[in-house]
Amino acid sequence: MTHGTLRRAVRLLDLDPRRFALALLLGTLALGCGVALAAVSAWLIARASQMPPVLQLSVATVAVRAFGIGRGVLRYLERLVSHDVALRGMTQLRTTLYERLAVARPETLLAVRRGDLLARVGADVDTVGDVVVRGLLPAGVAAVLGAGTVLAMCALWPPAGLALGACLVLAGVVAPAIAARAARSTEQRALQSRADMTATALGLLDDAGPLRVAGRAEAELAALRESDRRLAAAADAGAGPAAIAAGLGQLAVGIAMLAALLTGVPAVGAGLLSPVELAVVVLTPLAAFEATSLLPAAAIQVQRSRAAAVRVLALLDAPTDSPATDDAAAGRPPLVASDLACGWPGAPAVVTRLSLDLRPGRSVALVGPSGTGKTTALLTLAGLLPRQSGSLTLDGHDVGHLDRHAVAAAVVVGTEDAHVFGTTVLENLRVARGDLTATEATGILARVGLTDWLAGLPDGLDTVLGPDARTVSGGERRRLLVARALASSAPLLLVDEPAEHLDPDRADALVTDLLADPRGVVVVTHRLSPLAAADEVVLLDGGRVRARGSHATLVATVPDYRDAYERERAND
Amino acid sequence: MRPLDPRLLRHARAARGYVALTAALGVVTAALVVAQALLLAHALGAAVSDGATLEVLAPTIGWLAAVVAVRALVTAVQERFAHRAATRTVAELREQVVAHAVALGPRWLATGEGPSVVTLATRGLDALEPYFVRYLPQLLLAATVTPGVLLVVLGLDWISAGILVVVLPLVPIFMVLVGRLTQGRSEQGLAAMQRLGAQVLDLLAGLPTLRAHGRERGPGARVRTLGDAHRQATMGTLRIAFLSGMVLELLTTLSVALVAVGIGLRLVEGHLDLVTGIAVLVLAPEVFLPLRQVGVQFHAAADGVAAAGRAFEVLETPVPAAGTRTAPDLRTATLRLEGVGVRTSGGSTPHGLDVVVRPGTVVALTGPSGVGKTTAVEVALGLLGPDEGRASIDGVDLVDVDPATLWAQVSWLPQRPVLEPGTVAELVGGDDGTRSAAAALTGLDGVVATLPDGWATPLGRGGAGLSLGQRQRVALTRTLLSRTPLVVLDEPTAHLDAAGEQVVLETVRALRDAGRTVLLVAHRPSLVALADEVVHVRSAAAVLA
Repeated sequence: MTHGTLRRAVRLLDLDPRRFALALLLGTLALGCGVALAAVSAWLIARASQMPPVLQLSVATVAVRAFGIGRGVLRYLERLVSHDVALRGMTQLRTTLYERLAVARPETLLAVRRGDLLARVGADVDTVGDVVVRGLLPAGVAAVLGAGTVLAMCALWPPAGLALGACLVLAGVVAPAIAARAARSTEQRALQSRADMTATALGLLDDAGPLRVAGRAEAELAALRESDRRLAAAADAGAGPAAIAAGLGQLAVGIAMLAALLTGVPAVGAGLLSPVELAVVVLTPLAAFEATSLLPAAAIQVQRSRAAAVRVLALLDAPTDSPATDDAAAGRPPLVASDLACGWPGAPAVVTRLSLDLRPGRSVALVGPSGTGKTTALLTLAGLLPRQSGSLTLDGHDVGHLDRHAVAAAVVVGTEDAHVFGTTVLENLRVARGDLTATEATGILARVGLTDWLAGLPDGLDTVLGPDARTVSGGERRRLLVARALASSAPLLLVDEPAEHLDPDRADALVTDLLADPRGVVVVTHRLSPLAAADEVVLLDGGRVRARGSHATLVATVPDYRDAYERERAND
Repeated sequence: MRPLDPRLLRHARAARGYVALTAALGVVTAALVVAQALLLAHALGAAVSDGATLEVLAPTIGWLAAVVAVRALVTAVQERFAHRAATRTVAELREQVVAHAVALGPRWLATGEGPSVVTLATRGLDALEPYFVRYLPQLLLAATVTPGVLLVVLGLDWISAGILVVVLPLVPIFMVLVGRLTQGRSEQGLAAMQRLGAQVLDLLAGLPTLRAHGRERGPGARVRTLGDAHRQATMGTLRIAFLSGMVLELLTTLSVALVAVGIGLRLVEGHLDLVTGIAVLVLAPEVFLPLRQVGVQFHAAADGVAAAGRAFEVLETPVPAAGTRTAPDLRTATLRLEGVGVRTSGGSTPHGLDVVVRPGTVVALTGPSGVGKTTAVEVALGLLGPDEGRASIDGVDLVDVDPATLWAQVSWLPQRPVLEPGTVAELVGGDDGTRSAAAALTGLDGVVATLPDGWATPLGRGGAGLSLGQRQRVALTRTLLSRTPLVVLDEPTAHLDAAGEQVVLETVRALRDAGRTVLLVAHRPSLVALADEVVHVRSAAAVLA
């Protein structure tokens, strides 16, 4: 984690320099009003005590009131401008993030857990943006205002001005640095205990019943107490430096005031400073520290934002798809895989020596025990994961050299964990094909057995589904995703476990229907009963093709396949 | 929002000492603020009007330096203990909430307020930190420094005190007024803001899906449009939300300015001496400072107070009293559910359930999902009291049974196996001989053979490092090796393929051969076929009035 990280992330916010400067100006003027109010009041009172004609004071009395009003109004404007700047930056960063991810290598997205992705584009981008309002701006205001106040004081009496400068550095640089370091070390020290605490608390609440019945609830509660105790110890260790930082900030105000008195009083005696100026020099510092009082929190914010920036940039720096070297506009069947090795980048292949010829009218079922890499194979066949070895071509063109759109035009994969968007049912199907009509959509939903479900929706196809379809049951969600794959105009479909969460009869009907589709279809399934409808069944086991052929052939020649098939039929 | 909830002091010991300390430090701070102002006024007043030299002023300045040092010390002490109190209080509340929620049982955890307890216990209560570190000290300063300083100003110059006294109540009045006027609009704005924010995240979450369909390029512009709309909605809310801050700032700064002008004009006419004037000028902003800070920290603190409030609600939910009678020996006693019904929002699941579990038999509960099979198990285990009917062992009602004496006789394998951290051998128990015999039966031996350290391989919480099917085998082996008379298996074949299912069948047979009683929740026919007795669970829809 380097200092350049945050700088890069802030550059990506693409802040409008004029707006930021305006916010800085307004912020400085607002707090400047406070300092000016203190200085002019001091002058007013000291001068008034010399009993001059009242007219001589009239400018000061008006100025004091004006500063009193100006402060509130300017601060209000500054907050509006700065928040606007920050929000614009966050939108910019989110858009950039989206656009980069859209062209990143597909496995980047598949490798990030959904919750993690949302945290990074949601909370983390907000945290990076917060650095504008809570980090950069307070620091900028404190620097400009501090420098201005020091210069003004120096003009009156240089020793007091210089002392004020030193004290401002103490309160505005040293104290925040200590506070930020304390916060960081606490966080690092507490990291493990916090993770332990969360895991223990979650475990206790998720499995309260089983833990009590097994007599382990007390032991787990003791473990929770222990991790909380370590968390408290870490917080205690960091509280010391935090206390020193807070004390230093308070001390700096007092020292600046004392320094002004100690150097100013002899100067009045020596005639270097007028008594009225002495009052100004002594009383102004009390107001000058308002800007620095925000800085310890600002320093902590900068650190938080930097940590968030690291996570955001990790997404942005994901390797992008290598540009297409084969400019065929659209891929065409057949999809031919030979000796394909499939696996996640950087991990060993989970399926090797897979050969497949898929063209319209042909249906293939991919079966095998759970965990043999059927989904990985499907993603590789769809061109979403790079192949590890072997060859994969569409109409003779290497899939790896084709544009992503060209591949998607020919072969579409419907995975189990595909996203259901928080929009209407129809729009969710249109993800697969933009010009899908309502009639076509109704037809496809009927094909996957969702007619009753559709009839029960308040607005039919125009019903808005909750974000990630929390309002839809597991089985309905699966079938909606299958319907989306069917809606695609691609001539080749790859479907992952379409029948999950369905009872055996409906599951078999759906798989049979899919296998009979006129397009080229690969279906991953754990149900064997409907596979008579497949042109070819490929049995994967232990990372390779163990047997392939028609359902009847496999039943006749592979004992395990026959056992599994008969067990399935006996159980139904 | 209640600024300081007395329940906080009742439930968290760490908070009590801290509030007392902060109140004491508040009084000290008030005294120091007054002392600093008076000393400064004397030194400066003498220097400005009488041209006093440093020698004359030395004692005053010395005292002033001492006050400055003590103020820094007080600030440091406050900060030091604020962090400590915050962590301790959060920990105390977390432990009580988790312990109480566990005691309330699985049904409470799964319904109504239950699920939110997880967020509350793991993250929500952390919001108390800003409440303790930033808000509470300022609140107590507002109760000590503000009135203390105001009294001193009154003693020095009643006209200035008059201005401050008039403005002071205006601060809360205006805050409430602005708050009322803006509440409706900002709530609307907030809802729009959250909706737009959720839509952007939805698009990003769906990016892999869009890519799979080759449609990822278009929505980039949509992300920007949504972001801009989100910004406009947010700014609309902020424009109003910041108003209250502006009113507060205007009132306080302007009244200080008025005090300054008033002092100046009376000085010119000789109605006031300079020392008093400076003292009042320095003290006037101190009257408002804690109030302003309370306003600034209000929102951060409100989250903490809300979280604490939810914690108290959990803690105040009564836990049904546990029975005290020792459970009869399940090796000979019969467990019965008679006419058991558990009410839910949709009716009764299960409804009118009769089950007899005789020692040494295998009893299967079947029925479509959502009918209340798992609930029936929870009733049989005494985790949940039935709303209708009764659960008993040899005539002793489960309500009167000390649950620990029942649970000591039960091994329960829930739908998702629960495994504590430890090595595989520790988890399953037994000695080497029995362990490998049991593992051969459940297929765990095959799993162990692939593990780097075999039986000594440590597993994380929940069996991290193993697949769901492998974890199921660990749990089955553990159940086989346990010596409890009653074994409860809840859908043991879920997540398992055909070969895994075979393992479960073998395990149940082995359990029966060992003379143990088995209560099964099953829907696969092969498993049901194994049972001596099959009970079909039914639910009832709510009777509409």
